[in-house]
Amino acid sequence: MNASEAMDPNPTTLKPSDTIECAAEYIMKNRYRNLPVVDENFCYVGMFGVNCLLKQVIPKAVFLPQGLENVSFIHESFEDLFHRFSEVKDQPISICMSKEIEPVAPDTPLTETMMQLYKTRASIPVVEEGTCKLLGMISYWEIGEKILAAGGPKDA
Amino acid sequence: MHSAHQADVIFGLSPVLFAGSLFVLTYLLIITERLNRAIIAMTAAALMIIGGVLTQEAAVQGVDFNTIGLLTGMMIIVGITRDSGVFQYLAIRSAKVVKADPWGILVMLMLVTALLSALLDNVTTVLLIAPITLLITDTLKISAYPYLFAEIFASNIGGTATLIGDPPNIMIGSATGLGYNDFLFNLAPIAIVILIITIIPIYFIWGRHLKADAELIEKVMQYREIDAIKDWVLLKKSLFVMTMVMIGFIVGHDYGYQPATIAMFGAAVLLTLNCLPHDQEKQTELVAKTLGDVEWITIFFFIGLFILVYGVESTGILESLAHQVIELTDGDKTVTAISILFVSAVASAIVDNIPFVATMIPLIKNMAASFGGAEELLPIWWSLALGACLGGNGSLVGASANLIVAGFAERSGQPIRFLPFMLMAFPMMLVSVMISAVYVYFRYF
Repeated sequence: MNASEAMDPNPTTLKPSDTIECAAEYIMKNRYRNLPVVDENFCYVGMFGVNCLLKQVIPKAVFLPQGLENVSFIHESFEDLFHRFSEVKDQPISICMSKEIEPVAPDTPLTETMMQLYKTRASIPVVEEGTCKLLGMISYWEIGEKILAAGGPKDA
Repeated sequence: MHSAHQADVIFGLSPVLFAGSLFVLTYLLIITERLNRAIIAMTAAALMIIGGVLTQEAAVQGVDFNTIGLLTGMMIIVGITRDSGVFQYLAIRSAKVVKADPWGILVMLMLVTALLSALLDNVTTVLLIAPITLLITDTLKISAYPYLFAEIFASNIGGTATLIGDPPNIMIGSATGLGYNDFLFNLAPIAIVILIITIIPIYFIWGRHLKADAELIEKVMQYREIDAIKDWVLLKKSLFVMTMVMIGFIVGHDYGYQPATIAMFGAAVLLTLNCLPHDQEKQTELVAKTLGDVEWITIFFFIGLFILVYGVESTGILESLAHQVIELTDGDKTVTAISILFVSAVASAIVDNIPFVATMIPLIKNMAASFGGAEELLPIWWSLALGACLGGNGSLVGASANLIVAGFAERSGQPIRFLPFMLMAFPMMLVSVMISAVYVYFRYF
């Protein structure tokens, strides 16, 4: 068994030009943690998710390499966080999408795919080898459901 | 000279040609920054031995373990102290003391940076201050550029003031036997004057235009600096050890204790105090973390350079250069001191001041006989220290701390470009060197 058999072939996707506000509302409404971002050719370009949103509302100095490790002296309200969010809400999601999640090829063996999922701790994209075309997504839920279903129907 | 260590023929070349060529090549490679400087220095050191200029025993003799020990010891002490949050506390407190007024914050952060740079190394200081600066300027919605520019200057000026403030001073102190108090009494007064004078152009260029909304100022005032202290017990231990180490630097010289002994002993005591309450496993973890925080790149860079320069010195090149410098200045000590001050400043603005000072130390030592003994060299040592430390302000590559600040600026989206920085900084650096020249002239001649 390999990644292509474990993936959802029709995942919800975002475009790099979608605004942060629009994408945020969508992922909040549907309780997504991460969504793949694809260009007009359905080429995978990154992931956008709740971490990106958090990053926008926390002071920038915290996320700089060798930046502030201790922020316990800053006391802010939801209004402060919203104010910071409103400064970037009209920006495209391309400014903060994550490119760190490594996609897997469709013929990646199931165990290796599971290892990748475990290490990434987020849904992983399946991308056509040699191109960047997004073929599907593998999430904990799909994998979990398929593992449980493999045991056959439960006895009453 | 150390001719006893030399072989007669090296790869068919004379020792002078081999060591001289290797030295020039090493400098060029360091300037290009194509390869990590520690790798370059270590390779050059190894080639000095393989090439037959030095034996391994001679190479070890060339390493100034007082400099290495002092640097390592202070890095350990600062690395542990940093975890207490005291430096963040100081930066936030200083901003609140001036009611978060943008110009007041700039002056206060300059003063804190200068003070910390005098007590810690400059790189550590800017690593602690720059993120807080970016947080404050981001909150106030003002440009971070003037603040970061001022902090670069403050770190290099502050570092000039003490024996432990900047690596060139550590090297000079170690090579000459000049102690903490000597540096404090001879360099701190002029460093304070230069710092105050440096604030003036910064005010006229940027300071008078710095404004922020009252609402944003209030946000900075809401920072609770006391919450920045993460570990009160560690803070007390760290401050106790740092105070003892400073006292050790001040009085230890009279009892024949080298700064490296004091710094390493302080580091060992602080490590013990930090580890003692924990079990074996946690102790190992804490020691590994602390030693991992030591800037080994800098330490190995120093070791390699010491061997390289010792090799060059052993061939007599530096002695010959020293005689040429004296000939150029007609044996006039005043002209020699002032020339070294300016040459050091300009050179340090262009190349790393560590290899420059490592080369200048044996060169100046070779002038002792011409000027009537080692005691007569004091004004020249102070000129070298002032030139090498202040010269770091001349360009973005003049000091490691400058590059660290530039890195923060770049990542925060407010880059400090090489040329615009130099156009502003180089003249300001020259002014500071001119002030130093006046000081050296009137105080020592």
